[in-house]
Amino acid sequence: MNARGARVSSVGALVPAPLRTIYARLGPQITSALSIAGGIALWELVGRLFVKNSLFLSTPSQIANEIAMLWISGELQMHMWVSGQEFFIGLTLAIVGGIFIGLVMTSSVKAEKILAPWVTALYATPTIAIAPLIILWFGIDIWSKVVICTLNGIFPMIINTDAGLRGAERHLIEAVRSFGATRWQIFWKVSLPSAIPYILAGVRLAVGRSIVAIVVGELFGARAGLGFMLIQASEVFNMSRLFAAVVILAVVGIALTSLAQALERHLVPWRRL
Amino acid sequence: MEPKLAIRNLSKRFGDLQALEGINLEIAEHEFVCIVGPSGCGKTTLLRIIAGLETANGGEILIDGKGVRAPGADRGFVFQADSLLPWRTVWKNAVIGLEINGLVSQETREYTRSLLKLVGLEGFDHYYPAQLSGGMRQRVNLARALALNPMVLLMDEPFSALDAQTREIMQSEMLRIWRSGHKTVLFITHQIDEAVYLADRVIVLGRRPGRVKEIVSVDIPRPRELNVKRKPRFIEYVDHIWQLIENDVRDSVIEEGAHRGGRRLAGQAISQE
Ligand SMILES: Nc1ncnc2c1ncn2[C@@H]1O[C@H](COP(=O)(O)OP(=O)(O)OP(=O)(O)O)[C@@H](O)[C@H]1O
Ligand SMILES: [Mg+2]
Repeated sequence: MNARGARVSSVGALVPAPLRTIYARLGPQITSALSIAGGIALWELVGRLFVKNSLFLSTPSQIANEIAMLWISGELQMHMWVSGQEFFIGLTLAIVGGIFIGLVMTSSVKAEKILAPWVTALYATPTIAIAPLIILWFGIDIWSKVVICTLNGIFPMIINTDAGLRGAERHLIEAVRSFGATRWQIFWKVSLPSAIPYILAGVRLAVGRSIVAIVVGELFGARAGLGFMLIQASEVFNMSRLFAAVVILAVVGIALTSLAQALERHLVPWRRL
Repeated sequence: MEPKLAIRNLSKRFGDLQALEGINLEIAEHEFVCIVGPSGCGKTTLLRIIAGLETANGGEILIDGKGVRAPGADRGFVFQADSLLPWRTVWKNAVIGLEINGLVSQETREYTRSLLKLVGLEGFDHYYPAQLSGGMRQRVNLARALALNPMVLLMDEPFSALDAQTREIMQSEMLRIWRSGHKTVLFITHQIDEAVYLADRVIVLGRRPGRVKEIVSVDIPRPRELNVKRKPRFIEYVDHIWQLIENDVRDSVIEEGAHRGGRRLAGQAISQE
């Protein structure tokens, strides 16, 4: 006990006081940033000193260079624009459609009985596997990818909307009912608000699934898009370009997911307490 | 004079269980009536039927001579468990009854504000329920029920979650609200001294089936100070009522113990404690 206390204080004494307060404030972020920076440095080192052959591994500096080149030539923006369109249209349809179907499912026992088996069965089906078929039906342009994206994003939306609406607590419904609330008022004032956290969690899941769906869709057949760029690069063994596409997708994925999280925090303030 | 609230030959069955049988009661305008009885004797069920949250198998409920079956703004219900909507602030919770009945106006808003002040929650308008103590939440519940200015207040063990001190203060507050607002109050409690302190009459229910065992008129002059609880007369009332329900309570405890975890009905009664 004594020895431990002494050690802690001696380590603390090595770091000057102002630095310590800065670390206390920014500590967690700095630690994450250092971890990523360290990982990138290691990657660069391994790439330069050991693997060398850029056919097997591109270094971060090569990838950064490639991204810059793609940007200057305008190629990157073009691919991002195509994938972005597919993503936003597909995700919007998934969100709107998923909430709508979820609402219909909870509106009556009959609707539930009709829809539930389809939802369960299709949710478990890897819809990505039928991507080639969808491309055949909807063509090689953006609409096939929009459909693939919607098909993948819609199920978490349906399931979460349904679960959220059903999850409304009975005693809260009763409380509102004791004031003479109609069915509609119960829906608007209790069921829907209690479903919002579920629906937003569904959006977060749908975002992730949509990104994967678009890339995979584009791998199967496209004329442009980040997934198309990726498959093209891999066919000609352009590793820097392949990695560039992967890095961009990862960054976009992180950004969009944190955006969805921020939306959750903003729309569900009572959950933060 | 016509009673404010009349209960005529009311009965209620849950499957094989005769929860209430042949209940007849008349409650005068501006009367404060407490209901006591062993756990599971049907107190909550009776109040829920009066509130219109549950339908009876026989008999009727009359308010000002008119039969009622559905919830309405003429009756306010204060629940045993805290039933504030977690996504609404204190203020939004307090006005929900007004919203549901389309009665939000400058005047009713000011009235609600004065009620929140009355229950000691001035300045907490923007707090979410999760930020309040149990006692504060129950006071919001009370203000919410009062906001519609119902002439009949139905209260199901409203103070059971409060600590002894808060409870005593709430009891005298309750009497103040009742006197100044000319309400008719039907108040369930497990604490016999609470019933004697508050009530003009104490209705003692028996169990299996739930029925009126005795009605005790409390002849203690008002206004009652809190120290009336130590007067011999007060203690006589408490003893008398306790003797009335003692055997029933013992039976219900033994029965619930024997059925614990086995039968769902008994389990529910325990979890309501
Ligand atoms: N929805 C229900 N379905 C089936 N049985 C029920 C239902 N509600 C109440 N009961 C049963 O009816 C009886 C009376 O219940 P009630 O809740 O009215 O008792 P109570 O007097 O309020 O008890 P407590 O003092 O423990 O709150 C109990 O045996 C209970 O199990
Ligand atoms: Mg009860």
